[in-house]
Amino acid sequence: MDLLDQILPLVQKPARYTGGEWNAIRKDWSEVDLKVVFAFPDVYEVGMSHLGMQILYSIVNSRNDTLMERVFAPWPDMEEKMREHKLPLFALESYRPVRDFDVIAFTLQYELSYTNILNMLELAGIPLRASRRGDEYPLVIAGGPCAFNPEPLASFIDLFVIGEGEEAIGDFLDVFRSAKVRKLSKKDLLLEAVRVPGIYVPSLYQVEYLAGGSIGKVEPVGDGIPKRVQKRVVRDLERVPFPTSPIVPSTEIVHDRIMIEVLRGCTRGCRFCQAGVIYRPVREKKPETVRSQAAELVQRTGYGEISLTSLSTSDYTPVRSVIKALIDDHADRGVGVSLPSLRVDNFSVQLAKEVQKVRRSSLTFAPEAGTQRLRDVINKGVSEEDLMAVADVAFQEGWRAVKLYFMIGLPTETAEDLDGIVYLAREVLARGRKAGVPRGRLRVTVSVSSFVPKPHTPFQWEPQVSFSDLKEKQAYLAGKLRDRGIVLNYHDAGVSFIEAVFARGDRRLGQVLEKACALGCKFDGWSELFRLDRWLEAFQKSDLDPAWYAGRRYDYESILPWDHISAGVSKQFLVQEHRRALAGVTTEDCRAGLCTGCGLCSGLEVEPVFAGGEFDAQVPDAVQ
Amino acid sequence: MPRYRMQYSKEGTARYLSHLDLLRSFERAGRRAGLPLAFTKGFNPHPIISFAAPLGVGTAGEAEYADLELKVDLAAGEVLQALFGALPEGIRVLEVRSISDRSPALMASVERATYRAKAKLKDRLGQQKLDDVIAAFIDRPEIWVERKNKAGGKKKYDIRSGIFAISGRSENDTIIIEAELKAGSNGNIRFEEVIEALQASSSLPIGGRFVLNRTGLFTLEEQAKKTLW
Repeated sequence: MDLLDQILPLVQKPARYTGGEWNAIRKDWSEVDLKVVFAFPDVYEVGMSHLGMQILYSIVNSRNDTLMERVFAPWPDMEEKMREHKLPLFALESYRPVRDFDVIAFTLQYELSYTNILNMLELAGIPLRASRRGDEYPLVIAGGPCAFNPEPLASFIDLFVIGEGEEAIGDFLDVFRSAKVRKLSKKDLLLEAVRVPGIYVPSLYQVEYLAGGSIGKVEPVGDGIPKRVQKRVVRDLERVPFPTSPIVPSTEIVHDRIMIEVLRGCTRGCRFCQAGVIYRPVREKKPETVRSQAAELVQRTGYGEISLTSLSTSDYTPVRSVIKALIDDHADRGVGVSLPSLRVDNFSVQLAKEVQKVRRSSLTFAPEAGTQRLRDVINKGVSEEDLMAVADVAFQEGWRAVKLYFMIGLPTETAEDLDGIVYLAREVLARGRKAGVPRGRLRVTVSVSSFVPKPHTPFQWEPQVSFSDLKEKQAYLAGKLRDRGIVLNYHDAGVSFIEAVFARGDRRLGQVLEKACALGCKFDGWSELFRLDRWLEAFQKSDLDPAWYAGRRYDYESILPWDHISAGVSKQFLVQEHRRALAGVTTEDCRAGLCTGCGLCSGLEVEPVFAGGEFDAQVPDAVQ
Repeated sequence: MPRYRMQYSKEGTARYLSHLDLLRSFERAGRRAGLPLAFTKGFNPHPIISFAAPLGVGTAGEAEYADLELKVDLAAGEVLQALFGALPEGIRVLEVRSISDRSPALMASVERATYRAKAKLKDRLGQQKLDDVIAAFIDRPEIWVERKNKAGGKKKYDIRSGIFAISGRSENDTIIIEAELKAGSNGNIRFEEVIEALQASSSLPIGGRFVLNRTGLFTLEEQAKKTLW
């Protein structure tokens, strides 16, 4: 702490590095067998908003034989001071060097965090390449959504956990502890770990490339190693621990509220969406469980707001009654309820109304595409009538600002579809004026991101639109959307481009990552720190073309770099969905009762769980 | 509404919390403790907690004050007890007293603050030498410092009249500076500025940076310092 007292007054937001938060757990190192450090590869405020970390922190610390501490990526100003004073990366609970732990567990939330992973290893004094880490170094593992294509990180990570971690982490720790007791080498430990369902050990697979650079084959190097690694799925949310004493930061973070997961998975089947595939099947929590967890959380955290989180909370079957119950339970203590994103329907607006006493901020909807034709291609079941009806209700109920999310660069997109975005934004604005919202206050924010084709989706074979085309489309929209009251935001095309490369990439990208990190790339998800020029230099030095990766159109017979990882959904289903997309044919949500044949339930021996206990639970209509 | 004055300390890991962070910590602790906090009315209700004087990020506070309002009348001891187990590391409530509704606002009452700064010495420093340096410093009729204003420009201030006492001790490899400064809404002198000015005016063999603590906050009663109770 002495050295920290010399450094911390010189950096921004020093509380990022001190720990000491309410509910942080400091265990005695001499009393446990295994020490794990959860490494979130972004800055404290972002990492502390991550529910997954709180879940695993609680699970690992509840065991008598293990402990978990945390480390986040130091902001560049702190990194500079750490290097100057030769202070290695340390964990927030014990201040011990990360290098002293048995396991470092990274979470892979988005591709642009990969350079931070390498940078953190470097700051910790740990060799980046797995092959250069002997038994004296911690084991480096990783999990999270990007683990569904782990290949770009294959050279650096010893072991990936594919899918949901609540049960897998315990299985892995049991194997590790047993291996440690028997003093197994890392090599032998990994050979044992690979037998745990959901664990992928990249060093145990050989990748062969064809002449043009495509994958020839990906094969296990020996017996007992699965050809395909199947994701882990928690069958019943009721039976896995949910953290009711999460760490409460003293400083301001991105999500400063209680987060209760009410529902996991989403089967609406939007074709661009990877989360919808990797988190299937839908599993809802019982309302009584949500209520009792909320009561405990309010008591143990002191937060003033409860957020019901999921991929689409308005799809949670008992959402209305649960919200009402929570408001009744907690309003008099000054604790409110909030909902993150909303579906485009009247039901959602009514929900939002119940929850927000004050119509502050804006209501956000995600039509994603400007024309019905393109919305059908991506299977986003929203019609123009839906959107306008919802805008009308929102403005009538007192909201003055609406935010609309769109994507550009979607497969089959034409200029007409971009014009559709302009048209919808203007129509929504007009509805606002009609509803009498004062001109000075009325605002429609159009937030446009660039489509990135993701593995395990029906669009995984599609190329990303070229970097220059993306910029052209952005300029086109900027040129047209100059109306007063409309604000246009778009994401840096360079960031989306690099994201696509790594989302679709193979192992050869490891050298690019290393070089990019050496060139100073870090915090690439932060536009003020992203350096496209350095990335391009890293690619050039590695003799690889990023546009080849981002812009590749695969055919159905190609071996994809992530084919040996399974999200549970069959390739035939994804092919079928892709074909339907190109034909503009929509597919229904399987919750409505009709199975769409994705193969998950039979393949993984799971089934959707609805809070009412019924398989064919009532689903609110898309159109009211 | 029943009003209470708390004396608390902010040290250790809490040293680096900002003023807003501190407010947030008390609000959450109050909820965790099950205290019936009184809230302001209006669009964004927040608990009625007011502080004597904000503490800069990085400066610890050994005897700080804040006022709290509750919806229900509780014994001061109950409030102390409740908060005791509900505050995060580094923040400790030392004492709570009931105060009258009509007590003047804390912030308006603050007039003086005492501070202590500690640093490691690079070389030996004799006590006499240190005393001379401080005497020379305090002999100056004016001590100018530069502050950035909101517009980003710089403005010069003379802080000499706000320094009521300053002394130093040299103990082996450590130097300790103590000072009593003007504080509060009528003119606040920042201890960091005094330390910076002292270092700039003389070549004290400091190795590293000073670590700062505010040791007390006071009001004035007939020109004499009095605690804020």
